[in-house]
Amino acid sequence: MNLFVAAFGFGLVSVSVIAIAAVGFTMQFGITNMINLAYGEVMISSAYVAYYLNRVGISIWVGMVGGALFGAVFSFLLNRIVYAPFQRKGTSYIGMVIVSLAVSLMMANLLLPIVGAFSSSYQNTGGSLVRIGNITLTTNQIAIIGLAVVVMLLIHGLLTYTKLGKAMRATSANPTLARNCGIPTQRVVDVVWLITGALCGLAGVVAALNSDSFAVASGAAFLIPIIAAAVLGGAGQPYGAMIGAVIIGLVTELSAAAWSPNYKEVVAFGILVVVMVLRPQGLLAKRGAMAAAG
Amino acid sequence: MTNAQVYYATNLLVYAGVDIIACLALNLQFGLSGIVNFSFIVFQAVGAYTAAVLSMPPDSANGAFQTYVGGLQLPFPIPWIGGAIAGGLLAIPVGLVVLRRLRPDYQAIALLVLSVIANTVITNAVPLLNGAAGIALVPPPLSDQFDPNTINYQYFFVGLTAIGVVLAALVASRIVNSPYGRSLRAMREHEIAATAIGKNPVQLKMTVFIVGGLIAGLSGAILVGFIQVWAPSVWLYPETIILFAAIIVGGRGNNIGAILGALLVPVGFEEVTRLLVKLNIGPPGLIPALEWVAIGLLIIGFLWFRPDGVRPEARRVFEGAPIPEDVANAG
Repeated sequence: MNLFVAAFGFGLVSVSVIAIAAVGFTMQFGITNMINLAYGEVMISSAYVAYYLNRVGISIWVGMVGGALFGAVFSFLLNRIVYAPFQRKGTSYIGMVIVSLAVSLMMANLLLPIVGAFSSSYQNTGGSLVRIGNITLTTNQIAIIGLAVVVMLLIHGLLTYTKLGKAMRATSANPTLARNCGIPTQRVVDVVWLITGALCGLAGVVAALNSDSFAVASGAAFLIPIIAAAVLGGAGQPYGAMIGAVIIGLVTELSAAAWSPNYKEVVAFGILVVVMVLRPQGLLAKRGAMAAAG
Repeated sequence: MTNAQVYYATNLLVYAGVDIIACLALNLQFGLSGIVNFSFIVFQAVGAYTAAVLSMPPDSANGAFQTYVGGLQLPFPIPWIGGAIAGGLLAIPVGLVVLRRLRPDYQAIALLVLSVIANTVITNAVPLLNGAAGIALVPPPLSDQFDPNTINYQYFFVGLTAIGVVLAALVASRIVNSPYGRSLRAMREHEIAATAIGKNPVQLKMTVFIVGGLIAGLSGAILVGFIQVWAPSVWLYPETIILFAAIIVGGRGNNIGAILGALLVPVGFEEVTRLLVKLNIGPPGLIPALEWVAIGLLIIGFLWFRPDGVRPEARRVFEGAPIPEDVANAG
């Protein structure tokens, strides 16, 4: 039983990492209509930006800001240079998925000669252990959980109380109508890529910090629970992605305790399959996997 | 020709044959029907593993240095047929989950994730197919009849591969030119309209998914008979992207384009890299990494500048049907 209580603690950390990443991923899809399969590679690139900052003696928490900035700028440029021109050209949704997969492949293999094939890890004090009942976590892990809570509250505030957030929701619901109402949808989309890119970069550093070591190949591994959480919650739904992250994060960690940590991603995939068979639109979505694209 | 040259040439021919078979299968799914099968390589892998364990002795042989299920030592054509059937069988559950209710872009990511997960499972479930190390010493076809380490055997294997290519090409061209192929094209172009004239898109997709799975399984069976080893590292998901690049470069929806793409991308690219690696430019691993970057650029470049590929699919005009331009002019 203690094993599962401990696993629950790790589960909360996983939930935090997945939530930050999945909210960004799902907002990209919801507002810009782009299933960005290069998301995992942007995450790992940001993790490496923080790694190099960390290596010259900068604290990883400051490096995290660097990673988030890199993620924001890179995602913005990626959309401006590659995705947006293809979308303007009228490339189909399938075409866009293929384009983003090609980008992901190129990023992973451009990164490989730069950072090398070996795995790396951050130089970090690691933090002291904190005991809460039967749950033992490092201060790092508690900071990750706190960070995720703050980020989720910020996203909630942004979407609910600000003009920008309302413009984002309007663009997501009906871009043409939003434009006709005077919302500068083009600028909204740019801002969305900056915000989601920052979430992506932040999530990459946090995910790398939470794992013992990371390598270029981690990018693809990061992506699977994120896709599972986003689809489970209903693609394009930020709150759905949060709920999805809670379920995927807890179930994968508990299954790792009960079964084998090698199959964490397989469990996430199993949940994804069940959702796709029983409720393809996801838990929250009004328009989801079944609706005609666009 | 010296022996080395013969080996090089026959190697190249067998790889070309396998790639052509795979591209024909993927073209049926992606080019003709619009199914973005990002887990294509899994179907090839299933065919390869099945053919391997059907032809190999039980895993207690050779000092039991590897573990795997099966080991039935069946005679030659059965492993290849078994590999093809395994690819087709796998297509049924995958198709039922993915192709029935999901939107096309969701289908694509579901299949991509499946490809990553299948690799993880086989890597970790060691007793099943020997995990990351993979299985080795797969007997080549008819190796009990004549020695596989001879030049004549190389020619013989090229012949076997050629039979596979002809079979796959016959099936593919029958489908492309049949009324069924027309239904598939109609569905690809406009699924709702195809449904409205009484075509069942789920049934159409399932059939072509299974046929593609069969052919993919055959290509894996041929490949494993030739290279005699099979491991998770040879069927990572980027291998599927190479085949997609081939179809996009060659031209979606026509078999000649698929064959052309197979010769240009997997065969041509691999040979160029092999030559470049010999030049020893940069640190080790740089050239293979840049090769992948080039594949990505190739896909993006073609989708931008020439989305129909080197050999675009012919526009089919039926006798008596009004050509859209005429209709536009008359109207």
